[in-house]
Amino acid sequence: MFFQIIFAAVFSGGLVDARKIRGISSSYKRFYRERKSFLCIDGSKIIPFEQVNDDYCDCDDGSDEPGTSACPRGRFYCTNLGFRPHYIPSSRVNDGICDCCDASDEYNSHAHCQNTCWNLGQKERAYVEVQMRTLDEGLRLKQQLIEEGVLLWREKQAQLRELQQVAEDLQIKLEEHRRRKHEADQLKEQTLKALAAGDSGLGRWNRTVSSVFQLLDSNGDGSITVDEVQAKVSFVHDEEQILSEEEAAALLGGGQRMDLIKFQHTLWEVLTKGDNVKIKDTPSSPVGEDPHLQAADKAAEWETTNLKKVEEAYDTVNMEISDLQKKLAIDYGTDWEFLFLNSQCYKLKVYEYTYTLCPFNQVLQKNTAGTEVSLGKWGMWAGTAKNQYSQMVYENGEPCWQGGSRSTTVTLTCGTETALRSVKEPSKCQYMMDFQTPVACQPVLKQRGIHSEL
Amino acid sequence: MAAFTERMAPVLLLWLAVCLSGAWAVDRGNFKTCDQSAFCKRQRALKPAESPYRALLETMELTNTKLTLQLINDNNKVRLLLELYRLQGNMTRVKINELKPLKPRYEVPDVLIREPPTEPLSLLSQDENGVVLSLGAESQRVIVSARPFRLDIMEGREVVMSLNSRGLLAFEHLRMRKDTFSYKVTSTVASVWDNIKRVFTSQTEPEVEKNEEADPANQAETAKDEDKAVDGMWEETFKSHSDSKPNGPSAVSLDFSLPGVEHVYGIPEHADDLRLKTTDNGDPYRLYNLDVFQYELYNPMALYGAVPVMLAHNTHRTTGIFWLNAAETWVDISSNTAGKTVFGKMLDYVQGSSETPQTDVRWISESGIIDVFIMLGPTPTDVFAQYASLTGTQSFPPLASLGYHQCRWNYNDQEDVRSVDAGFDEHDIPYDFIWLDIEHTDGKRYFTWDPHKFATPKEMLQGLKDKKRKMVAIVDPHIKVDSNYKIHNEIRSRDFYVKNKDGGDYEGWCWPGNAGYPDFTRADMRDWWASMFAYDQYEGTMDNLHTWNDMNEPSVFNGPEVTMHKDAMHGDWEHRDVHNIYGLYVHRATAEGLIQRSGGTERPFVLTRAFFAGSQRYGAVWTGDNAAEWDHLKISIPMCLSLGLVGISFCGADVGGFFKSPGAELLVRWYQTGAYQPFFRAHAHMDTARREPWLFGPENTALIREAVRQRYTLLPYWYQLFYQAHRTGYPVMRPLWVEYPQDPATFAVDNEFLIGKDLLVHPVTEEGARGVTAFLPGKHEVWFDVHTFQKHNGAQNLYIPVTMSSIPVFQRGGSIIPRKLRVRRSSLCMEDDPYTLYVALNVQRTAEGELYIDDGHTFNYEKKEFIHRRLSFINNSLSSVNLAPDAQFTTASWIERIVILGASKPSKVIVKTTDGQESPVEFEFDASMSVLTLRKPGMNAGEDWTVTLQ
Repeated sequence: MFFQIIFAAVFSGGLVDARKIRGISSSYKRFYRERKSFLCIDGSKIIPFEQVNDDYCDCDDGSDEPGTSACPRGRFYCTNLGFRPHYIPSSRVNDGICDCCDASDEYNSHAHCQNTCWNLGQKERAYVEVQMRTLDEGLRLKQQLIEEGVLLWREKQAQLRELQQVAEDLQIKLEEHRRRKHEADQLKEQTLKALAAGDSGLGRWNRTVSSVFQLLDSNGDGSITVDEVQAKVSFVHDEEQILSEEEAAALLGGGQRMDLIKFQHTLWEVLTKGDNVKIKDTPSSPVGEDPHLQAADKAAEWETTNLKKVEEAYDTVNMEISDLQKKLAIDYGTDWEFLFLNSQCYKLKVYEYTYTLCPFNQVLQKNTAGTEVSLGKWGMWAGTAKNQYSQMVYENGEPCWQGGSRSTTVTLTCGTETALRSVKEPSKCQYMMDFQTPVACQPVLKQRGIHSEL
Repeated sequence: MAAFTERMAPVLLLWLAVCLSGAWAVDRGNFKTCDQSAFCKRQRALKPAESPYRALLETMELTNTKLTLQLINDNNKVRLLLELYRLQGNMTRVKINELKPLKPRYEVPDVLIREPPTEPLSLLSQDENGVVLSLGAESQRVIVSARPFRLDIMEGREVVMSLNSRGLLAFEHLRMRKDTFSYKVTSTVASVWDNIKRVFTSQTEPEVEKNEEADPANQAETAKDEDKAVDGMWEETFKSHSDSKPNGPSAVSLDFSLPGVEHVYGIPEHADDLRLKTTDNGDPYRLYNLDVFQYELYNPMALYGAVPVMLAHNTHRTTGIFWLNAAETWVDISSNTAGKTVFGKMLDYVQGSSETPQTDVRWISESGIIDVFIMLGPTPTDVFAQYASLTGTQSFPPLASLGYHQCRWNYNDQEDVRSVDAGFDEHDIPYDFIWLDIEHTDGKRYFTWDPHKFATPKEMLQGLKDKKRKMVAIVDPHIKVDSNYKIHNEIRSRDFYVKNKDGGDYEGWCWPGNAGYPDFTRADMRDWWASMFAYDQYEGTMDNLHTWNDMNEPSVFNGPEVTMHKDAMHGDWEHRDVHNIYGLYVHRATAEGLIQRSGGTERPFVLTRAFFAGSQRYGAVWTGDNAAEWDHLKISIPMCLSLGLVGISFCGADVGGFFKSPGAELLVRWYQTGAYQPFFRAHAHMDTARREPWLFGPENTALIREAVRQRYTLLPYWYQLFYQAHRTGYPVMRPLWVEYPQDPATFAVDNEFLIGKDLLVHPVTEEGARGVTAFLPGKHEVWFDVHTFQKHNGAQNLYIPVTMSSIPVFQRGGSIIPRKLRVRRSSLCMEDDPYTLYVALNVQRTAEGELYIDDGHTFNYEKKEFIHRRLSFINNSLSSVNLAPDAQFTTASWIERIVILGASKPSKVIVKTTDGQESPVEFEFDASMSVLTLRKPGMNAGEDWTVTLQ
């Protein structure tokens, strides 16, 4: 039985030779000094030392069996000389699968494991070297991008300020124009009122008996007839109601006609002093022909157009400002290093689809037929607590067939170029993108390296 | 990726139509009720009355093997031939066919494993009213009554079962269609022929017979009134589908009365309770293999599979009825005690006014003949053995297939497979199989791989093999009609497709679009299909790739009730005749393919959705497309229990639910339940979010890991039970009543179950549960909580407080269960691991169990390469005795630990091995729980040994 072999190894190894204890790291050696008994590391139990690595689990914490698969919660230390040491679960000891590159986990199995640590180490060193170079290059590029970002940020801020200045100017202009329009409108209104007052007061200011008589005498034959009265005179209270012939005749003093002299003493008095009848407002009324009014009207129109122009300009500028503010409100990283991605788009073809990622904006999928589908609009950063800038989420894309809408999670990784590397759809309508960019490079990576144990 | 919509447009449209028609439930309108199925409506209209059938005793012939007798229907003078067999193993077979059918009627082949061996019937008495025949032992007799015809099976003075006692025997004889030209010609020719025959036959027929003799034409005359009365005999329309019915009406029906019986079980597959309900106020239970989209629970609608076997049980007898017919079948159940309360029944009893409780059952099939096997028990295990002797036992699955299966529609590409595989290692959760659904193929062309997503399948399979893991890829029976597809071309050139009624290849819509359906009822077709699994035919495959047959009802998206037209032709037979057995044939041909590709050495693993009586011989089944709902979790228990009762032990439900996304609690509870059901596979619909075990936060990952690990520790027990099922036909997952047949309290229990006879499982299936009440059966039993080792008495309802980590499981006192506690990446990694024996003592302080070991994957166990041992604890001594001295196998596994529950503290413990060596064993005793743990006794698991407590 193989545990007897282990015993043999342990015993022949001499008294204090704890290095022969299988499956422990050097930092744990102190727990396994050869004595009569062994104290489980959690202190729960004392067992005879022969029961360490005897392929039977005695300690609840699995500490008596670091080198066998006996304990459910145990772990085995792969020394992996030449490569990285690491722990594997005890259940992977002698399971017929090579887990430690030094083959130490398969000391009693059918698996023929080769020691591949040196190769792996080489590979990893090469890989790490590439990674480091990538990282260095990435960080250098990132620094540039940060600088550019800062500049860009400043530029954008300047742009914003400029726009805000423009907006302020426009605001003043706007107010000026509003005032002017207001004045023009008022003038127009007053003129109108004055005219209207003139109408009803008939020449209080500028109307004469003769001019009113001329107005009423439509055919200009020097006398007013019933027809002419019916056409031009109405009740004060009801302009629509046409005077009857009798009423018109009554106004003419019971006759069919009336000359200027008679008018001056009869109807004129009624029109100017009474409040029963008045001269109708007609299109051909003298108001439209009034030159003062025409001028006031034109001025008001001019000011309205001007105001509209200024308002439009103001709105456009404000929109630009709010767009810019929205963009600037996005978190572009501590040093605005992600700012440069804004307004860029990156494409990748996967099988029959072309994917487009426009960072901080949207994600699109286009098939060979050219149909475009939105896979989400910019949502937020969704990385880890440690580095929230490691992931972006785009949401509320095209609705999905079984409810919900498409969304995309973009994972940012360090690289020397900025490019879309892969697209997957692990669940329906939920896309995952791998996006490489120097700005995702983190200096912490640098600390990772190979240290091997002797 | 993504817009699957484009490629799947036609199918999606259809699905969309289905989806729109009913939110999250089956669209019942797509499936027939009895009223919409012409023959069911016709037959159900017949009410119990005096049977028109009469036995012509003068035609009786009794040979060594059977009794034959003619029956005549006094209404239409059509004669039937009754054959009665006494079969070995306490069974009776009753076969009824037309004496002279116009053309042969379908008799289901390939289900019985052999012609059942008979035993002689002896005539006990005979008079003009009938005959009495002896059924051999225990004063069992069958009484054939002549007028009206009925059969009564008696034991002593007790009637065990009666046939046609309610007069519902009905046999729609084949007839000519009267309103057609061909009828007139044929009938004339027929009568001319009859006359000629009479002139030339020297032997004059007996006068009586001649008078009653009716040729088909005359039969049709006499039956004119019947014909006219009912629609749907020669043509039937359902929704937009019409069934041409060239053979006219052909239904058969028979009633069975079960005096003293109040509990009947079986006839799966239905999403219903274990105990069958009476059907008086609704539709009968329907058996017709159908692809039901989002099936509803607790109703008698047909589902994916059909096993026409019913078990009847009371405190002193269990019997079974096996109705061997593959056509659409409906089963009516009524009971004279249904609806009576317990109090009402007691009142009856006290007042002495009660009639004997009785259950009446009626079977109706659309075509074929009546061929019934009456299994007379009398114990549940007798019935299992009897049914197994007819249709065979559960195939012995490869050990790995009892592990955990990870499935999803779909793992998208090789990289996806690799990363899910790595996820299991990262989270230290064991699994044995990862599955690929239909998207892995090149455009739903089975036996192919998507050239982009699965460009190097062998590389992928090798990667899994390096981890001692395996894969299952789907192969469905609908074949894309595409002249660039090898499989299609070969089937077409060999003329292997099912034909439509006009003789062309039958085509229907399924996943690939337009598809043909190979005629799996043909042996030559099945042989060819099997040959397609050869490694040089099915490219990119290796020995760790196994198969899944879905959609084999068969599913036809644009067919009536989403299946094949009944007038499609399988050679001379209509689809109507063979419908329910089609899926079995697909499963069988596939399993044979996997066996053949290994040169006959490896046990196959094939999962099927459709099944029939006998499907247990070919692999596993699952309960189809369930949903992520608590009720679906609950129903998985009775659904698998019902299947186990009729021989299909290897059953499981999609863990997590196929449709919809489960919340973390439901998912965890489903893992905990699934870990204790025979086939343990997680599966998910493509429209659901990912749900690999580690996606629900570390706490839930840990809970799922623990459930899966519990499964793996018990693999030795599961494997031994499957070996037993394979040898005997006993179900692996059992209802309580099977082991406690005399305790009526167990008869309707289906929220808990037994694994074998020694583990009782009461899964938590309620949302937000704080506790469950488990019924611990057995007046003299004790049960040990397997987690705490706490002892409980039997015959009680035990309230168990639960947390999210609780899976209430109890080991029966008196049992020994072997476990392997070193849970590893996959079952294969655990092959040589040592055993821990859990010895649970009963009140007599004894216990018994078994240990079965073989190579786990080949047929070599048939060549006696295995270890089978009896473990027994008696008189303070535990020993391992060889149960199969003629078998040879060696194992590296040893006995690591023995845990004795309910023990007292010994002063010393000695182990004695074959070589006579005695050595002391260290032990620990936990006095609070009375648990004795023997430390590392170290014997090899294949040896004889004895451990003695002193």
